[in-house]
Amino acid sequence: MATQIVMDHSGDTRHAFDPLDAKAVAKAEKRFKDLTGAGFIAAERTADGESRRVSAFNPMAEETLFFPRLAGG
Amino acid sequence: MFLFRHLRSERSRHIRALHRLYRFSNDKNRPEARGLRLLRTWLSPTQRAQFDSFGYFDVTGSVSHRKYRIHFGVSANIQELGNDDKPRIGWCFIPDGNLVPGDVMLAQKIALETSERDALAVANRFPPTIPALLRNAGRPY
Repeated sequence: MATQIVMDHSGDTRHAFDPLDAKAVAKAEKRFKDLTGAGFIAAERTADGESRRVSAFNPMAEETLFFPRLAGG
Repeated sequence: MFLFRHLRSERSRHIRALHRLYRFSNDKNRPEARGLRLLRTWLSPTQRAQFDSFGYFDVTGSVSHRKYRIHFGVSANIQELGNDDKPRIGWCFIPDGNLVPGDVMLAQKIALETSERDALAVANRFPPTIPALLRNAGRPY
């Protein structure tokens, strides 16, 4: 199972999907596009403690994290 | 005398941060605890050990390779360290929205490690003594 993790006021909301299920993948891809289109930044974990920003949906990513755009505090 | 007071202040700040950290972790369903769990799973083993011991962890900037220290908190919680590991600049940038400390710190870590220039472009600078952390020491996140 792959998981999309979206940061929010509850801590995070998780959406798990089967990367071999075409319908679930399409739904996850739409979520990716909706979130990044709304300004969220997407990142994948590549190894323990390492991450990279992503701009395209990858159904095979084990975990994709979304956080809101950054602003000066 | 000043140095002694400064060290004592730094130490008590770390103790307060750790106290808050473990208080939040006690209630597993609270947003703060969920945020901290998410953060810990995305930290490297070294960062996780540092965070558990001191309430902060160090990251390396993706472009400059400078070292940054991210403290427990939601604003004005980043210090850029010099070659001597002493704080030289304070930075403040946060994700939009009212996020819990673990989420904020994780977003800051990923931003500095993957797109340092973009993060610092929106960040505000402040003196590296982290006045906001001292001010927020008893804040019930």
